[in-house]
Amino acid sequence: MGGSAANKPKLIIDGKRVDGRSFGQMRQIKITASVLKNADGSAFIEWGNNKILAAVYGPKEATPKHLSDPMKAIIKCRYMMAPFSSLADHGRTGPNRRATEISKVIKEVFENCVVLTEYPGSQIEVYIEILQGDGGTRAAGLTAAAVAMASAGIQMKDIPYAVSVGRIDEHLAIDFNMIEDNYSDSDMPIAISPRNNDIVLLQMDGGLTKEQFMRSIKMAIDAGKTITDLQKRALREVYAKDEINGE
Amino acid sequence: MMREIVLPGDLLEEKPVRMENAFVENNKTYAKVLGMYDKEHSSLIALEGVYQPRIDDVVVGIISEVKNKVYEVDLAFFGRCLLIAGKYDRETYKQGDVVEAVIKNIEDRKTIILTDARPLSGGTILQVKPTKIPRIIGKGSTMIRQISDLAKCHVVVGKNGTVWMRGGNVALATEAILTIEREAHLSGLTEKIKRMLEEQKGN
Repeated sequence: MGGSAANKPKLIIDGKRVDGRSFGQMRQIKITASVLKNADGSAFIEWGNNKILAAVYGPKEATPKHLSDPMKAIIKCRYMMAPFSSLADHGRTGPNRRATEISKVIKEVFENCVVLTEYPGSQIEVYIEILQGDGGTRAAGLTAAAVAMASAGIQMKDIPYAVSVGRIDEHLAIDFNMIEDNYSDSDMPIAISPRNNDIVLLQMDGGLTKEQFMRSIKMAIDAGKTITDLQKRALREVYAKDEINGE
Repeated sequence: MMREIVLPGDLLEEKPVRMENAFVENNKTYAKVLGMYDKEHSSLIALEGVYQPRIDDVVVGIISEVKNKVYEVDLAFFGRCLLIAGKYDRETYKQGDVVEAVIKNIEDRKTIILTDARPLSGGTILQVKPTKIPRIIGKGSTMIRQISDLAKCHVVVGKNGTVWMRGGNVALATEAILTIEREAHLSGLTEKIKRMLEEQKGN
């Protein structure tokens, strides 16, 4: 993403990536569900150095009225990077082109997963706040928002997850950090609905051959098993924890 | 009784089963919400979520707007809720009044029409999660009767999650209800609440 080729750092050192990971290895992920009491649903994710808070409100009466759909719910999504979230060279924060775009694509993911017809005339608000960003925030944010959505008790057909896959020279690698994200040859965030492996979000910078593309998708699905597991464990823990303390 | 926590997208049955909070795809049944699944009784009870109105539900709401003989009622629900005064209704309400009423009809799944309204004057109201209301009422109203008996408090529970209380030890009743809301997914609650109420009453 936009790093100039002239000052490109070495992304592969002794067959390993800049932070010592292998090509198919993700960063450490930790998800906690229901962290905000005021929100209907919420989640906090620590994905490597990414720290992201997601909150879901609703379904509630849609405002302004003319945006409401009498047949189904509408989803509003706000992805935002905190002013202190990122490395200095990432540029200014605020409602910029990038945040608007990410909000839009995440909104569309949830439009495909939530059973919108259950809540006619209502709106569901999704807030994703990046407290600390280190590459792959849209994937991590979406993963957290999906947990928040489920913990709000909103009817949905699946809990989607997202992960980025990309190419460094001829090597395919999963889950790029900020440096890899900026200087890699290709970067492709994918969101998948794990129940039937439907792809609900796919964006790409750079280029991949058809064969590399198919392998990337497979890598994302393999990594997704771990992410789905963590998402579900986070949601179950909220109730399991009470089970122990309750008695 | 085997109950387990299921999450959206979890496979419940290999065959199509008609069940609340579940959906069928390719002849298989999947969960649609975060909830407690009882395989024996084929029931999936949501643990979180907004109020899903049913006809004949008793609800508690606050009059939010008065238009001639039509009252708009705030039920903490995403749609509209109207109370239309009939020919023989003597009672008139003003903004801010609390009413107990029964759902007569639901139009297009988002407009609730109320009937059999009666005013609840004075007292305090408490908003809890609508999904926890069945536990607060208890099997055959045992739980709620126990609370109102031991706290000597008049309690009206609306299915929409609004609870109205007056007289007696309101603070104790509130504490009991909030405890149930917090621990609704655990078993043995009736006994626990009884112990709690009796202990507190002694103090």
